[in-house]
Amino acid sequence: MSTYGTTRHHHSPATNFSNNKAIDYHTTLFRRLTWDGTVPLEIRVDPKELPANSDRNLECFFIQAPRVSYLPLLMPEIRRFFMDLVFDDSAAKDLKDEEWWFETVEGTLVKWHWPIGLIYDNHTISASTKPSTSRSSTNVAPLRLTLHLASPPNDKLLLSPSPEACKQAFMGQLKEADFMRWGSTKRMTGLRQQDQDGLWEGIKEHNFDDYWRVASKVTPTTAPTRTHSPAAPSSSASMVNRPPSADPAGPSERDGAYNVRSVPVRLYLPDGPVMQSLVPPMLDDNSPRTLSHYLTEHIPLLFPTPPPAPPPSRTNPHPRPPPVPSPAYALIQGIVTPLETEMAWLGGCLAGADGWVNVCIGINS
Amino acid sequence: MSDSTERPIPSWASPDSAETNEEVLTALQTYKKKDADKVIVRFKAVGNAPIMKQNFFKITSANRFQAVIQFLRKELGYKGTEPLHTYINLAFSPAPDDTVANLFKSFQTDNHLIVNYSTTAAWG
Repeated sequence: MSTYGTTRHHHSPATNFSNNKAIDYHTTLFRRLTWDGTVPLEIRVDPKELPANSDRNLECFFIQAPRVSYLPLLMPEIRRFFMDLVFDDSAAKDLKDEEWWFETVEGTLVKWHWPIGLIYDNHTISASTKPSTSRSSTNVAPLRLTLHLASPPNDKLLLSPSPEACKQAFMGQLKEADFMRWGSTKRMTGLRQQDQDGLWEGIKEHNFDDYWRVASKVTPTTAPTRTHSPAAPSSSASMVNRPPSADPAGPSERDGAYNVRSVPVRLYLPDGPVMQSLVPPMLDDNSPRTLSHYLTEHIPLLFPTPPPAPPPSRTNPHPRPPPVPSPAYALIQGIVTPLETEMAWLGGCLAGADGWVNVCIGINS
Repeated sequence: MSDSTERPIPSWASPDSAETNEEVLTALQTYKKKDADKVIVRFKAVGNAPIMKQNFFKITSANRFQAVIQFLRKELGYKGTEPLHTYINLAFSPAPDDTVANLFKSFQTDNHLIVNYSTTAAWG
């Protein structure tokens, strides 16, 4: 089994290495996969609002959007498409794009300040509770959005569609995540202004290296960084199972994902609510808190306590509890996530660019 | 989705169960119920923001943070256009759609949720 904190079931090639480079590679790999995740969007202007003389053959705009991006950042491209190809020149002149806003075709308001991946996953879990007639058989169906051209319901959208407002909200989320982890925002406020701005520039340009050059200073790594003894391969006494105080660790390990006060995580149920509370990465017995622990604690009606594992035998020295079919599943970054995944690992590897792990709960049909 | 023709359906085409489990929907409804509990919110002025005579309030925890901002504006007699920045624990601005319950659970100090307000951007 792995000697560093990650999902226990996971047998990546990196587990064969015990040097820190391989471990860093592992964390970076999952951050890269998260960063590169995209979702398909299908944007259609509300037919009732389509200006006169619009080209109705082209009324639909498709885009494969980065999960870590935001709708206000896509607006220039969306605007260009409709202005250049769909709307009549004279009609286009009267349109103010600061009045544009989105709804899903089902009529759910789309918030400007939610990451696009979260909007997509939140729609997936909402659809999972509905009768299946309209659901596509594939899980890569585009999220269908209706673009309205006037009268935004500002009291419900809460924030303006400007990229500047979105940046402020994004920085606020990063600081809130920092506070969740350490009980202060020292790491975020310790960044030079130029670096803070660099985080947002990285999102805007969708540049992994620019973003992570700064983000790696505030995001805990899942890699143990002890240098005095290389981690023994395949020991059940994983690093993370030791009390932090027992390790003569350097500052890097104290900053690790398994030593935070709480993992920044939010739980989304279909059509609400959103739940947030302190989620320490370790349990009282100093074993890592898993997704299963987290869900059983917060939504036991959907994730009942699993039965205990059978006693170990010679043929099966490490028995697992019998599988229980759950009525629900957890979707993180669009991935149905195994329940034995450790919360700290999620915080280091599958958090969004705003620092938060978004756990969306869908219902099995 | 009933199939009256008795034709065997290949497994890949089997229809989803027409009804989602009642129990699950009931569970979801349970979690949707609004929390009627109240928590203590303590407002603290920063910089030259006006000070409030009474600065402890019991606020229903199901409220969104946006409602707290609106309440504070009303108490201060601030119009919509005047800038007012709000922070938790002198550290960050929460998302306006986050609930008081969530913020309280994550950031309370001595059983209070401390909300700082300022007329200029401070920790934005």
